[in-house]
Amino acid sequence: MVLAFFLRLLATLLHVALTFALAPLVMGVVTTLRAWALGRRGPPVIQPYRDLYKMLRKATLVPDTATELFSAWPVACALSIAVAAMLVPGFCTGLLTAPLSDFITIMGLLALARAATMLGGLETGFGFGGAGAWREALYGVFAEGALLVVLLCFGLLAHGVTVDGIAVAFDTQHIGISVSLGFALAAMLAVALTETGRIPTDNPSGHLELAMVHEAMLLEYSGRNLLLLNYAAMLRLLLWMSLIGAIFLPFGMARATDILSWPGGLLLWLLKLAAMAVVLPLYEVSSAKMRVFRVPEFLGVAMLLGMLAGIFLFVAARIGA
Amino acid sequence: MHLHLDALSLLFLGILLPQVVAGAMAGMRDSVTFWVFVLGMGLALAAADAFTLVFGFELMSAASWLLVLRGDQKPATLYVGVAIFSAACLVPAVFLPAGPIAFLLIVLGAGAKAGLAPLHFWLPRAHPAPPAGVSALMSGGMVKVALYVIIRYAFVVLAPAAQPWWGGVLVVAGAASVLIGALRAMLETELKTMLACSTVEHVGLIAVGLGIALRAKAMGDGAMAGLGLEAALLCAVAHGLYKPLLFIGAGEVKHSVGTTSLNWLGGLVRGMPKLGLLMLGGAAGMAALPLGPGFAPEFILWHAAIAAAGTGGIIARIGFTALLVVLGLSAALALGAAVRMIGIGFLGRPRTLQAAAAEDARRWPLIGMALLAALCVPVALLPGLVLYALTPVILLLAPQADAPPLTYAPLSLAVLAGLVAVAAGFILHRYGVRGSREVPAWNGGFGKPPPWLPFGDPATQPSATGFAEPIARAIGRGLLAPGGADPAEAFLLTPLTRLHLRCVRVAERLRRATIRQRLAFIFAALVAFLLALGLGEGG
Repeated sequence: MVLAFFLRLLATLLHVALTFALAPLVMGVVTTLRAWALGRRGPPVIQPYRDLYKMLRKATLVPDTATELFSAWPVACALSIAVAAMLVPGFCTGLLTAPLSDFITIMGLLALARAATMLGGLETGFGFGGAGAWREALYGVFAEGALLVVLLCFGLLAHGVTVDGIAVAFDTQHIGISVSLGFALAAMLAVALTETGRIPTDNPSGHLELAMVHEAMLLEYSGRNLLLLNYAAMLRLLLWMSLIGAIFLPFGMARATDILSWPGGLLLWLLKLAAMAVVLPLYEVSSAKMRVFRVPEFLGVAMLLGMLAGIFLFVAARIGA
Repeated sequence: MHLHLDALSLLFLGILLPQVVAGAMAGMRDSVTFWVFVLGMGLALAAADAFTLVFGFELMSAASWLLVLRGDQKPATLYVGVAIFSAACLVPAVFLPAGPIAFLLIVLGAGAKAGLAPLHFWLPRAHPAPPAGVSALMSGGMVKVALYVIIRYAFVVLAPAAQPWWGGVLVVAGAASVLIGALRAMLETELKTMLACSTVEHVGLIAVGLGIALRAKAMGDGAMAGLGLEAALLCAVAHGLYKPLLFIGAGEVKHSVGTTSLNWLGGLVRGMPKLGLLMLGGAAGMAALPLGPGFAPEFILWHAAIAAAGTGGIIARIGFTALLVVLGLSAALALGAAVRMIGIGFLGRPRTLQAAAAEDARRWPLIGMALLAALCVPVALLPGLVLYALTPVILLLAPQADAPPLTYAPLSLAVLAGLVAVAAGFILHRYGVRGSREVPAWNGGFGKPPPWLPFGDPATQPSATGFAEPIARAIGRGLLAPGGADPAEAFLLTPLTRLHLRCVRVAERLRRATIRQRLAFIFAALVAFLLALGLGEGG
């Protein structure tokens, strides 16, 4: 009993340490691979660490039109993303945070981070931040609807909606390859691309303020505030990769109470992350950024796919397939 | 007149009490009508027989009509019309035998008072009209009394005749209210109107929870009935705390700035820091953000909806899938509305001189708001404890209810956040550069504003209308009537008004008839009557 608890604690600490340490690396790999795919040399993969360190040593500037709460929003954003990242299982299931890892809690924490970023964008009262905030609000409406209906599909298949429970159920039960899960995956990928601010909804390396979404809200931030916001963006990318990995690729996940399964689980987790970090830039260079008002259609399709996934499950249950 | 208190009445009286105190502190202490209003609500909640219930309910309606009338003439007429309609449904309903007709009349009558779609159109007009203390009590308390009537009749009085489709009626009406309320809250620029629209949304959420519970109770599913009731009652408790807070805050904004239009506010946190922080807390509740008071009910409701989608026929299942989409959309819309309220109204640069010169709220309203905010803290951080306190009520309403334990633990999340904060604070403090420097905003490289515009050009700032415009374009066009009007108003109220006008014209023509026309009319009626009589006799 005590040993099991100790092992779970150790696994949790390892998970948290790895998640927080690897987040910039994943972002660096994605950026570099994207540059390669475009035929450029690209920065070294450890560039995000250097950038974060640079921001740590820079002075923090506060615009004179901002209110007292200017520095509170990056903290709120980073904290909620960090807590969410601690809840999503990475290399193993059964972490100490597993009972908390309800999918709806994670959605709430992501929404909290989004709200904090939007308020940060509106904080100084200049046009670009506001434009970023309204775009984020627009995307969020559709993304949240799509995500909730996809969750229904998981809940029906796994009889529970904690991420940990879904991962265990999908790993051990014989779910097989179902049409519903395929639709759910497509819907979830669309939401993930939107939430992490990647092409086709937003361009993380864009330089034109008018076309930015996520970056536009950060324009006025500098120094440690920018560090927190950028680090939160990196964590968010890793979080979504872990989430998709845990739900759709749960094979080979270790169990926290079984220390011998850890190395295999760690290796597979890193492989899954690497695979996703390769696929993401390849997808990004092969598609173009959408017009702002096309994005609701893109996410509307995701929502429809989520609904179809649920309906297929109902029909399958009815005909006993 | 008999009074009787049971767990349900006590719960709703408990929801009412802090709002009454806060409303009285917000400047309504000396108004007799206000206290009559409170008395009516208390009577309706404590009633032991149908007569007392209807008497209290109508006393509440009449007193609140006087209060609305004092604020604004125009919505008062609409308000009293809806109140009469609601009375016309309620009075026969409470004396009818238990059955579907009684239930439908109760839902129509009390639902009209609670602001359930499609009879919600009066609420965003009437609730903002009276002074803030009354608006707070109307939005936080009066709609709860109407919901109490629905709960009392659907779950207790009419329980022997209950059928699963009764729950379906509540779910459909609730889902429509949720969507329309959230969308309109996102689009309205007037602060108090926006809050009233958000009330429509929350009433819808409560109705969805009640509907799921009622359906599950009739189907004999104890776990889901428990979940639905937990969601509905916890939402009622939380909404009864943060919505009055926001309304009183809006009243203080009006007092200090002279307007509540978001397009004329901005940067209020600078002049009104205490009010700004309290409003931020209320907005977190309204947007159902985690660690806020509004998240736990939404969490349970989503669980209940997911559980409900696994039961019943295939049409019901598809309906619940659509309900989930509606709930997700509305949650994000509510978030957008709350962010817009805080971001446009309280952050950023002032848009007018009055907003720049705003001073902090008066002492007593601020104390009332602080009281409500303090009560929000246990709801936000210890929802499990509040649910434990609600157990007798839930067992009273559905004896077989047996909800699974709550898996949302805000305290643990707060501890995790605290640990991260300590670690991050240590790193930033130890290795980072401390302090910060105030500079002109970067603003994408545009220059400093000229000295004669101390806060820059207000026109370069995003406005509340502009912030909501993309959502109006993407969703509003499909869901709202042309011109952005409320669909219930355009498709229900306007045709009714037109019908009324036509009837009035006919009546007027009859009244103005000459003596010859009247004689002809009477003669024709006589002939028709005799003809009918003759044919009837002959047949």
